[in-house]
Amino acid sequence: MSFSQNTGHAAPFPRLSILLHWVMAALIIVMLFVGLVMAHDSTIHYAGLFTLHRTVGFLILLLVIVRLINRFTNRTPTLPDDLPAPMKLAAHLSHILLYGFMIALPLVGWAMLSAGGYPITLWGGCHIPPLMGFHPHLWGALRCLHSLLAYGLILLIIAHIGAALLHGVIRRDGVMGSMLGR
Amino acid sequence: MAHSPRKGSPARWAAVVLPPLCLGGLMAWTAGVFRPPSISPSHFMQRFHNAGALGDGFRRAHAKGMCVTGWFDPSPKGQALSRSGIFKGEHLPVMGRFSLAPPLPYLPDNPAVARSLALQILSPKGDDWRMALVDVPLQSMRDIADAYAFFGAAKLDPATHKPDPVAVQTYAVQRPWLKTAFEQAKAHKQTSDLTNDSYNSLDSFILTDSTGKKTAVRWSVVAKEPFAPAEGSGANDGNYLFKRLVQTLDQRPLSWDIVATIARDGDPVNDPSQPWDAADQKVTVGTVTFTKAYSEDESPCGPMVFDPTILPDGISVSDDPLLALRSSVYMRSYATRSAEHKAPSMVTPGDVTNPTLTPDGKGQ
Repeated sequence: MSFSQNTGHAAPFPRLSILLHWVMAALIIVMLFVGLVMAHDSTIHYAGLFTLHRTVGFLILLLVIVRLINRFTNRTPTLPDDLPAPMKLAAHLSHILLYGFMIALPLVGWAMLSAGGYPITLWGGCHIPPLMGFHPHLWGALRCLHSLLAYGLILLIIAHIGAALLHGVIRRDGVMGSMLGR
Repeated sequence: MAHSPRKGSPARWAAVVLPPLCLGGLMAWTAGVFRPPSISPSHFMQRFHNAGALGDGFRRAHAKGMCVTGWFDPSPKGQALSRSGIFKGEHLPVMGRFSLAPPLPYLPDNPAVARSLALQILSPKGDDWRMALVDVPLQSMRDIADAYAFFGAAKLDPATHKPDPVAVQTYAVQRPWLKTAFEQAKAHKQTSDLTNDSYNSLDSFILTDSTGKKTAVRWSVVAKEPFAPAEGSGANDGNYLFKRLVQTLDQRPLSWDIVATIARDGDPVNDPSQPWDAADQKVTVGTVTFTKAYSEDESPCGPMVFDPTILPDGISVSDDPLLALRSSVYMRSYATRSAEHKAPSMVTPGDVTNPTLTPDGKGQ
């Protein structure tokens, strides 16, 4: 079964957009798994996972800035004309939410560690400055928000993959292919 | 070109639904759904609760405490062992927290209970060294499974408000590898005060010098005050240990040496329950001096987390499994208690202002 046939109207995304999408997709999936293990398992590798989580989180924050700039400077293929209006709306809304979560999660992570008085050391020993001073109450609230956002992002990603496959396998309108570079 | 049908076969629908479901399922599995519960930080929180941790914004372990501030002066020997900015020679600020080890925030001071000291040393360049030390010679657990069983055995009997002695005994008997740790704990002579007590990291750390050479060490914070036995020192004031510490600090600063015990080949670095060779070299890397006490209700050390894996460059964690456990469990405890409304600590600001011992047994 071929998952993608560019039989629809959608033109492919620009190369840079495709590269950013897939690199960030891989990083975000890794981050979500690392975060789940950190939160739900007293792992013997906690310190290493925590350093990895901070480092990749910071990298994602940098990449999402590049990606936002790219989004506004590069064209985005339009959705097929025959896509029903509610689906179009859902597509746009979910993309805005995905961007929002991609920005908010690392920012909240950075802020919560700052508020908790944790030094923010990246892989290789590089320090990044705290976003705020020591506010233990805020740390507790932000730590909770960080989890809620992560679970929200997981649901969004699951919906996103489902929607992409719906375009690629059922509708076969070229929308999925546009992010595969076809 | 033939246009493909818009409606898919069941196989096509399966190709749409199954991949995201599998990803979601795998994530749920990672989060502990669909598998026997692994020992997670929240399980430890439950065990601390059963062992008497109150919540109410208190730490889940080492719950009763008091804050001190002072400074750290490194010795040149520290710089030879670690390239850390902490040992560069500067006089650095220190925040400390003396505490009783159990999870009970209103435990009256008494000679039988283990005591602990937590430290944070900061350099102007942002080096942050946190230590969590206890006055017992060896850790009475060697790994995460032991730790989980240990805090399970610490569960308070609702009738006696004390741990079940049989459960504590069973914990020890079932773990022959902890024989030495329990023997040394029994032989350990408790000091009269917090001021003349010495505190140990138990866990091992790796120091890296400027050439990249690594040395495994265990830390001890060794009292400069002379030893006096705890026998007969149990004044009838529930805060006598903390009040006497305040009384001394009101008169003069108190110092402790930070001593690194250097591992030799064969010393178990990844097992804090096992002793190292008694002839191991001991190096004093600096001195910590406290000058002032505060109730933890009016010092940043009250909420602060003393996670011993928060380390400057030049000091790193060993492969001791309890260090990783501490980091994850401390973080969970810290997040939970920070979101709670904090009840007043047993050592109140009034106790620090007026540390006169009262004979009412409550320390108020």
